Order: sequence, then C-alpha cells, then structure tokens
Amino acid sequence: MEELFNINLKKTSLFSKEDETLRKENLKLFLESGFPNKKDENWKFTDLNSIIKKNFKNISNDYNFNFEKNKIQLIDDFEHNSIILVNGLYKSSDTRFEDKEKIKIQSFKSIEDVNDNSNNNLYLLNKALSLGGFYLEIQENYKCKKPFMIYNYFTSNLDNKIINNSNKIKINQNSELTLLEYNIDEKNKFIKNTFENIEIKDNSVLKFFFIQKTKSKGYFYKNVVGTQGYNSSYQNFILSSGLLFNKIDQNISLTKENSNCFILSGLCLGKNEHQEIKTQINHLAPNCKSYQKIKNVLESDSNGVYQGKIFVKDIAQKTDAYQLSKALLLDDKSEFNAKPELEIYADDVKCSHGSTSGSIDADAIHYLMTRGIKLTEAKKLLITGFLNEIFDNIPEQKIKTFLEKTIKEQINGV
Amino acid sequence: MKSEELKNQEYKYGFTTEIENFKAPKGLSEETIKFISKIKKEPKWMLDWRLKAFNRLKVLKEPNWQKPKYPNIDYQDLYYYSAPKSMKDKPKSLDEVDPKLIETYNKLGIPLNEQKKLSGVAVDAVFDSVSVATTFKGELDKKGIIFCPISEAIQKYPELVKKYLGSVIPISDHYFATLNSAVFTDGSFVYIPPNTRCPMELSTYFRINASETGQFERTLIIADKGSYVSYLEGCTAPMRDENQLHAANVELVALDDAEIKYSTVQNWYPGDKDGVGGIYNFVTKRGACRGKNSKISWTQVETGSAITWKYPSCILQGDNSVGEFYSIAITNNHQKADTGTKMIHLGKNTKSKIISKGISAGKADNTYRGLVDIGAKALNSRNYTQCDSLLMGNKCGAHTIPYIKNKNSSSTVEHEATTSKINEDQLFYCNQRGLNQEEAVSLIVNGFCKEVLQQLPMEFAVEAQKLVSISLEGSVG
Repeated sequence: MEELFNINLKKTSLFSKEDETLRKENLKLFLESGFPNKKDENWKFTDLNSIIKKNFKNISNDYNFNFEKNKIQLIDDFEHNSIILVNGLYKSSDTRFEDKEKIKIQSFKSIEDVNDNSNNNLYLLNKALSLGGFYLEIQENYKCKKPFMIYNYFTSNLDNKIINNSNKIKINQNSELTLLEYNIDEKNKFIKNTFENIEIKDNSVLKFFFIQKTKSKGYFYKNVVGTQGYNSSYQNFILSSGLLFNKIDQNISLTKENSNCFILSGLCLGKNEHQEIKTQINHLAPNCKSYQKIKNVLESDSNGVYQGKIFVKDIAQKTDAYQLSKALLLDDKSEFNAKPELEIYADDVKCSHGSTSGSIDADAIHYLMTRGIKLTEAKKLLITGFLNEIFDNIPEQKIKTFLEKTIKEQINGV
Repeated sequence: MKSEELKNQEYKYGFTTEIENFKAPKGLSEETIKFISKIKKEPKWMLDWRLKAFNRLKVLKEPNWQKPKYPNIDYQDLYYYSAPKSMKDKPKSLDEVDPKLIETYNKLGIPLNEQKKLSGVAVDAVFDSVSVATTFKGELDKKGIIFCPISEAIQKYPELVKKYLGSVIPISDHYFATLNSAVFTDGSFVYIPPNTRCPMELSTYFRINASETGQFERTLIIADKGSYVSYLEGCTAPMRDENQLHAANVELVALDDAEIKYSTVQNWYPGDKDGVGGIYNFVTKRGACRGKNSKISWTQVETGSAITWKYPSCILQGDNSVGEFYSIAITNNHQKADTGTKMIHLGKNTKSKIISKGISAGKADNTYRGLVDIGAKALNSRNYTQCDSLLMGNKCGAHTIPYIKNKNSSSTVEHEATTSKINEDQLFYCNQRGLNQEEAVSLIVNGFCKEVLQQLPMEFAVEAQKLVSISLEGSVG
C-alpha cells in the first residue's frame, strides 16, 4: 500500500497546528484501509482500489503550478458570470451581471463542517489533504439574473497527483441560482476527491449542472451533501461523459414540506470509461417530491453504475418519489449495474422505480433504414433521442442548446 | 439430574434400542455430528462430508448485512438432534390444544383428522395405517420415482446422493448453509427418472415421518432428462415448533428438458403481538437448471415466522433454460421478512421472471432483495422483474433492494417496483356494497396477490387465499 502513495503533509501547512495533528490522524486512518473496494456496499459495483492500483503509482499531493489565464477558453454560447477554480482552488470571479452586494464568493478554507461521513475512506483522505475550495452564498430575496459558470481548470503538471478540495454553496431564502460546473484539463492522469455541501433555504431554487465536454484522463470522486428547506427545489443535471472514472455520490435531505429534488443524468460512455451515480434522497417531511432519471449509453469496455436510494421517513406522507435508470449497451464488453433501492416507512406514498438495460431497438433501426438513413446515422439518431429526453425540464433555451450541442459532440465521438 | 442419568444410559447401550427418547449432546461439536451420523446409520463418506462442512464452519462468520437483525444465537446451547416425541408427551386430544389454533384450522377448512396431525395430537395407529401416504407410495414405485427421507436415500441410493448433494449449495457456501450441511437431520429426497411425469403433487405432508423433520432440514430434488415434478412444502395451517432457529437447505437439479415446480407455504409461529418468540426461518434454497431447456419455478407464500430470511435462487446454466420466482410475503405485528431471489444467467437464451408482492402491516418490516446477473456469455437473455409493496399504516416499512447486473448487449433486463397503500376508492366501493372494512381489505389484498396465487397448485391455492386474509386480521382500523 505504501508505495502507492507519496503523500507530503507539509503541503497542507497553511493551517494551524491542531489542524495538522488532525490531518495526520486522518491520513493514518485512511492508509490503514486505503481506497474503498467491492467489499464496501457503497462501492459494490466500483472497485476503486483496484482501478487506482491498476492506473496509478506513487500518488502525490505535491504539486506547484503556474496559472495563465488565457489557457481558459470561456464559453460564448450564453451570457454568464464566471468563477475560476484552478486545481480545485478558488482563483477569481466575475459577477458583472449581478448585484455585487447580494453575492458572496470567496475561497473556502475550513475543512470542518463539510459532509460528515466517517465511514467513507475518501472522506478521511479529504480531511487529511484538502486545501479548501470555494464558498458561494446568495443573499435573501435575490434571483440571479444570469447563470454562474464554474470553470474548473486543471494545470498541466498533474500526472499521478491527487487533488482534495471542499466547497460550500448556500442559497438563502427566496433566492435563485443556476450554476454550471465545467471542467477543462490538460490531459493529465490525476485523481480529484471533492466534498461539497449545499444548503438551500426556504423557497429557493438551485439548478446545478455538471459538465465535461472533452475526453479526460481524470479520476474524479465528488460527494455532495445537501439539505433543503420549505418549498425549495434542487435540480441537478449530470453530463460528465468523457472522464475515465467518475463517481458522484449525492445525499440530499428534504427536511421541510413541499420541497423537491430532481437528479437527471445523460451519459455517453466511451472506451474504458467507468462512471457511477449514487444517490440517496431522504424524504423527511410530508408532501415532497423527488425525481431521478439516469440514462446511460455504453460503448465497448465501459461500465455504468447507478445506485439510488429513496428513504421515506414515517411522517413523510404524500411523498412522491420516482427513480428510473435506463441503459443502452452498444457492445458485449460494456456493462451496466444498478441498484435502485427503496426504504419506506410511510404508507400514503407514491414510490416507484424502474430499471431497464438492453441494446438499441432493432425495429427502430430497421424503420429508420427503410427511410434511407444509414446504419451509423440511425444509431446516432436513436442515441441522441434517448439522451435528449433529460433536457425536457430545462426552460432556458440557450443553456439547453448548449447542452444539446455538448451531447451531440460526445455522441459523435462514440 | 434425571437427564444426566438418561444420557449415560444411552451411551451404555450404544444407541441400539428405543431411539424415542434420545437427544444428542448439547452444543455443536464433532461428537454431536458423529452422534447424528451414527443414529442415522450413515456410511463413512457421509460422516466425512459432514465433518468437512463442520471444519469449514469454524472459519465462517455469521452474515450481518441483512435488514432484520436478531439477537445472537448461542450455537453451543442448542440441541442438534432430538428424537421424535413419544406418544406420552403429545396432547391426548384436540381439547388440549390452544383454542386459537383450532379456530384458525376451522377458518382454513382443515378436516378434523388433519387438524390432529398438525397440532401434534397423538394419532392412533389405525388412522395412520389407512393414510393416503402408503397408497401413493405404491403408485410412485411403479413409475420408478424415488420419494423418501434423505436419510433413507443416503443408504439406499448413495450414488445419486453423492453425485448431487452439495452440488448446488456447496458445503462452504455461507454460514447457515454450512451449518445445515454439518448437522442436518432429515428431509426429502426426490428423484424423477428420465421422461417421467410425476403423476401427483409430491408433498412433505405425505412422507411418513414428515412432521418431525426438525430444524435442519435438507431437501434434494433431481429431475432427470425430460421429467416433470411439482413439489409442495409446508402447509397453510400454523405450525408449532419448539426450535427457534430453522436453517434448511433445499437443492434442486433440473437436467435437459426437465421441469421442477417448487411451492412453499410457510406459516411458522410468528411470535405474539409484541414480537416475543417466533421462529427464525433462515433458509437456503437454490436450483440449478443444468440441462438445456430446463425450467425451475419457485412459488412461495410467506406469512409466518418472526424473521424470514431466504432467497430461492436459480442458476440458469443450460441454454434456453427458464427460472421463475413468484412470491407473496405478508408481515404483521413485529414480523420481519427479508426475501427475494437470485437469477444468475449463464447460458444462452435464458429467461427469468420475478413477481414479488410484499405486504406489511402493524410494526413489521418487509424487504425484497434480489439479484439479476446476466453474464457476458448469456446471449439473448431476458429478465422481467416486478416487485410491488403494499403498506398498511405508518409504523411498518417496505423496502426494495434489487441488484441488477448486465454484461451483455443482446440481453434485456426490465425492473419495476411500486410502493403504495390500499386505494381509498377501492375500499369505499367495497364498503358501499356491504363488505365490512376487514373483508374489503382481504378482497383487495387477494387481488393484489392474484398473479402469485394463480401459480400455486390447486390443493394450495384455495387455502392460501384464506391464509392471506387471516394473516392480516386485526391490522385494519
């Protein structure tokens, strides 16, 4: 195990002395059992330990970087505010469209207070090595005029490095925010381990998009813990195809009445990609709604996983919860594993889930071919239709067009 | 102590006479296993097999991932063999039996003689000798079908037993299966010769010493090429039993073109209203569709036991083989059920279907846990899973934990699950037509379970329907 790591705790020395001892302890605990493996129920379908061992050696957190701003190519498809993160750390922001007083963006240094998951080894690792990240807060009664784009840039000297960061997003009452996280990297092979905390207060809305546009050799893990207030809404769209490894682990609690949570994902996984979406939606109050739709297209040697859990507490009557996972397997070497789980303690609820996996409908292909469309085109058309369905819920036309374009590029890559 | 004296006596006479009062030494040890093996007059290979399992057991740990937790079982505090009760200990007549039990029998419409047998009333020899069992036996012999206690089969048909015992559930499988392999006392053995259709439903009820099979039952059913058998286990009437832990193993083997239909109705004592007592039913059931075009179908109605923990599974090895699982699990009061199935697709064109209905009332917990695994070589395979749960009240829980694995692009897996309560409109409609609340609920629940009830053989179906209603008594209000 030891040769796998080459960790230098001095890199985290910007923090206090007590902090240092805590970090040492956490690192020790982490090294005792290493990366999670199949024996851990949460990692049943994703043996991270063997994936990391196969691809990495001498993993180090020791890196310096020079950042040149012109490396980041801003998107011009729609007007937006921007936040720039370099290797997970907050660099700068531009909120030209907004009322500056209402928005607070700064770097986030605390390693406490973020998602306590003590039985998650990656949490220990994060606690030991995290250098912070960003903190974003929207004040009360403010609806952001334009979306915020997080440019998540990774520098070029990251081979065999590990990045640990932690972020916090807080939306105060009666506010609204659209946030897009967009990764840009320099084709290095590295690991990123992120812990993120989201708090959505009463009557607020957060729309959060995870976007990966190009192929990347990144191995990403992201843990999101969210709490929602009365009549709040969290809408999450995951379009992270392109990463060699990605696991998004979300735990969202609907703590007050009338709140809702949407998690929608459309992935088109290429060769050797392994992506997992794991969710736990906790219905803790009556009259809440959750809706999950996970769609995967799997090319050869790719592996798609969905582990979703809906928990309904006994007082959470009139819950409406839905989970759907669909996978298209394009090749015999691809694999799709799912575990859609329900744990329900209230009786007046509507909870259901569905899961299907199989190949592209031969009849549909035949139909298109009889209309003069070539086989490859017909397949692309069907895949596009299959994935585009998740965009139905996006009202902002420009963002929708941008996302559709992204998906199209990914499909053409297939 | 009197029992001490008795034990010494037993040793003195070397177990040759009067097995009636024998008890194995308390606790789990090599001696206990040797004792069981000796009393069953088993050949050496069988004892070796048991000891191998026992050695394996020493390194295994009890599983703890399941939803229903139970207090630790002290395995050294159990008797692993006790001979059937003598006539003296049994109740003399139905008057001595718990009136509640008799009431249930009457509701189920069980004939008086059967009632006596079920409640363990000493049945006089006359009744026994005219029992249907002997008549059936003759008919089965004519067809070459073997249906006997497994201890008899070990002596009479050692080749068959050697070949198939432990071939579906290996002795090192998991804690309870291994425990069973080491200490099993008896169970059924069925062999259907090639191209034979078993002319009747085989049932433990008709096997002569069926009611005393004990807590570690072992069943082995082999359907040779082109044969068919339907096997019924358990019975709708509530069964009383002193043993709290039941760890049975059931193995099915279907060769080319053979079909096995295995139906269970389980209604062991569930404990009282506060969840005190009750049976732990930890059963390992597994079938292998070894041959081409073979089929195994499991149907279960689980209404009893404090904890039910079992996953009747199918290993679909042969091309074109079919696995089916139909289940109703009803839990009331403090009962807990964690049940489901595993469908492991290995052969080409294999198909499986899972229909599971869970009903939870009172403070009960009901979990469906299942696995559908389609291997890379299982081309053109198909699975369809439907699991529905019905909740009555907000003190009970219903959970669905399906594991779905697909490694093959030509295969299709479909899974659906819903959880809901009884539709108010339907209840209202029934009430309006003069049915009281309880009758209405029973009618609706029976409708909810219909798909599974239909799979039961005729003998069971009618009684099972009544059982579904009775199990939910007192939960509506």
